[in-house]
Amino acid sequence: MLADRLRVRDIRNTSTFRLTFLFGVVFLLGVTILLGLIYGLSARELTRRSDRILRLEAAMLEQTSADTLPNRIRGEIARSAGGLNYFELRSIDGDHVAGDIRVGDLPPNDTPVERVAGDGKPMRLLAVETPSQETLLIGRDISPVVDLRRQVLMILIASGLITVIAVLFCGFLLSLAPLRRVRDLQRAIETISGGDLEARMPLAGRGDELDLFAGTVNQMIDEIERAIGQVKGVTDAIAHDLRTPLTRVRSQLYRLSQSSEVQAPAVRMIDAATSDLDTVLERFGALLRISELEAGRRRAGFEPVDLAALLARMQELYEPLAEDQGITLMLDVAERGTAPGDEKLLFEALSNLVDNALKFTPPGGRVTLALATDAHGPVIEVRDTGTGIAADERQAVIRRFHRGSNAAEVPGNGLGLSLVVAILHLHGFTLGFRDGLPGLVVEVRCHGHGSEEAVKFISLAGASPAAHLDGAGQEAVAV
Amino acid sequence: MARILVIEDDAATAQEIVTELGAHGHETVHADNGDTGLDEATREPFDLITLDRMLPGIDGLALVERLRERRIHLPVLMISALSDVDERIAGLRAGGDDYMTKPFASNEMAMRVEVLLRRQAQQPADEAILRVGGIEIDLIRRKVKVDGEPIRLLHMELRLLEFLARHAGDIVSRKIIFEKVWGYYFDPGANLINVHIARLRKKLDRPGKPSAIVTVKGEGYRLDAV
Repeated sequence: MLADRLRVRDIRNTSTFRLTFLFGVVFLLGVTILLGLIYGLSARELTRRSDRILRLEAAMLEQTSADTLPNRIRGEIARSAGGLNYFELRSIDGDHVAGDIRVGDLPPNDTPVERVAGDGKPMRLLAVETPSQETLLIGRDISPVVDLRRQVLMILIASGLITVIAVLFCGFLLSLAPLRRVRDLQRAIETISGGDLEARMPLAGRGDELDLFAGTVNQMIDEIERAIGQVKGVTDAIAHDLRTPLTRVRSQLYRLSQSSEVQAPAVRMIDAATSDLDTVLERFGALLRISELEAGRRRAGFEPVDLAALLARMQELYEPLAEDQGITLMLDVAERGTAPGDEKLLFEALSNLVDNALKFTPPGGRVTLALATDAHGPVIEVRDTGTGIAADERQAVIRRFHRGSNAAEVPGNGLGLSLVVAILHLHGFTLGFRDGLPGLVVEVRCHGHGSEEAVKFISLAGASPAAHLDGAGQEAVAV
Repeated sequence: MARILVIEDDAATAQEIVTELGAHGHETVHADNGDTGLDEATREPFDLITLDRMLPGIDGLALVERLRERRIHLPVLMISALSDVDERIAGLRAGGDDYMTKPFASNEMAMRVEVLLRRQAQQPADEAILRVGGIEIDLIRRKVKVDGEPIRLLHMELRLLEFLARHAGDIVSRKIIFEKVWGYYFDPGANLINVHIARLRKKLDRPGKPSAIVTVKGEGYRLDAV
């Protein structure tokens, strides 16, 4: 059964969403690589420049004599505008002689490394050995490079986030319309697979792949409908053609049984054969009656039917049978109601429902005929305290000749509910089942609006006038 | 014995009806089309007509209307291959007295004929009190006595008893009972009518006497005078 609302999970699983997400990830990867390259190349160039300057500075200072080097360094420090360069001179013993760099361990000789200066700024640091074997340390502030790195990282994170959000949003938007269409198609398929072969897959008219698919399925259903119609026609024709000769056989058997020449044992056999023939004729009769009702167009002749009076007559008719079985048959009429219809046919349909309720309710149980009103009109309920119908079997029980799993011990031909469906269909009424806790509640909504579990009737479906679950909600249905 | 006009174009069905009614001791005349049937019905006296709904010549519905126009009020049992309720109503509205659908069990047809003949015979004497053996039904005050002793019957029980009493001595099938007493034309299952009969029987039966309602196996019930 389909949920009415689209859930995030549904959207997340669509191929459109996945495709959009994949494109988004590829795009993000591209942007990252591009920015990474730009950053890498820029940072390397800036670092190279710093290193080149460090080496030039070192080369100049190396030429200075050992005596004047400390002063020269102090001079360089004083000249370094804004503290861009750092210097230090260490003796052979590693003691500080002059300068403003305070690093613990010395970097390898003549190889620039990255360190943090005393004022906390990042710097490139070069250690060289002077001709007098002292160690000259020269540093250069590389804050711009580090700032660049940070900015690139920020850009990467921000653009990544924006891309992810945009991708999710676009994926959501792009998935929504196709998903809604797929949902419509799914609903149509549920209706069709429920047996309503008059339903078709909706077409958007855009000629896209979904339309192509729906069109193909519709063609397939046309074919199935035609084939089922043929099978049904043949079935009905067989029932119709066999009924007359079988009835004649029955009449001849009856006359034979009345004959004085026939001995008692033979009469018993004839009676048994007659009884079997009656069963066959009854089934053929019911089959043809269902077909007749399905083909019927009786609404024009409908008159308002007093439903409370109908239920009262029903109770009057079935009360002795109920009492005989130790079942209480109750009437629960909240308010009177009328519905346009054929009183005799509605009585027949309800009679089938009451008969079923009595068959499946154990002695000591209760069957209630209730009349209430919902937002759209009157609703008749036949409630029992019997064995009920399993939720997964409710669709099947209205099919012709289907007998419920709990019906093995109960007499019947499996056509009663098909007949009910045919009569209610003729009236435009809907039928639904729900759990009575215990037992079963059969609802007849005397208007065109079904409940969640309402059954939508079909007029053909040769072997199976079947059910359709309308919308989401409680449990599955049958009839 | 009654004289019955069988208007039926299908030879096999006509033979079926003629044989069955003959077996019940009735004299039959067969007409195989509407025009001949109408001529026969207006020319000769009959007690009942079995009439096919669809006939060559005058259609069954038109035929029964013509008969009524000519003030021929014979009971008419309409027989039709059309079973839809509308058709039944149309047949009865046109003036048919009963309606049955093809194919039919011939004993059921004979029962219906007997019911119609009995009704015809009773019509002039539409008395206020029906008596069958020890059973006395006061139709005006809706009261019933068995051997002079009043018994209480529910509304439908009284109608059932009245129907059986009006056809006392005739076998009536459960289907006919359901049609005539409850007014519905579907088959509600044998058990339903059986329990109504059983209830009524329980109220009517008197110790030491056989039951007035006799079950005829495979056919239906009969109310006897006991």
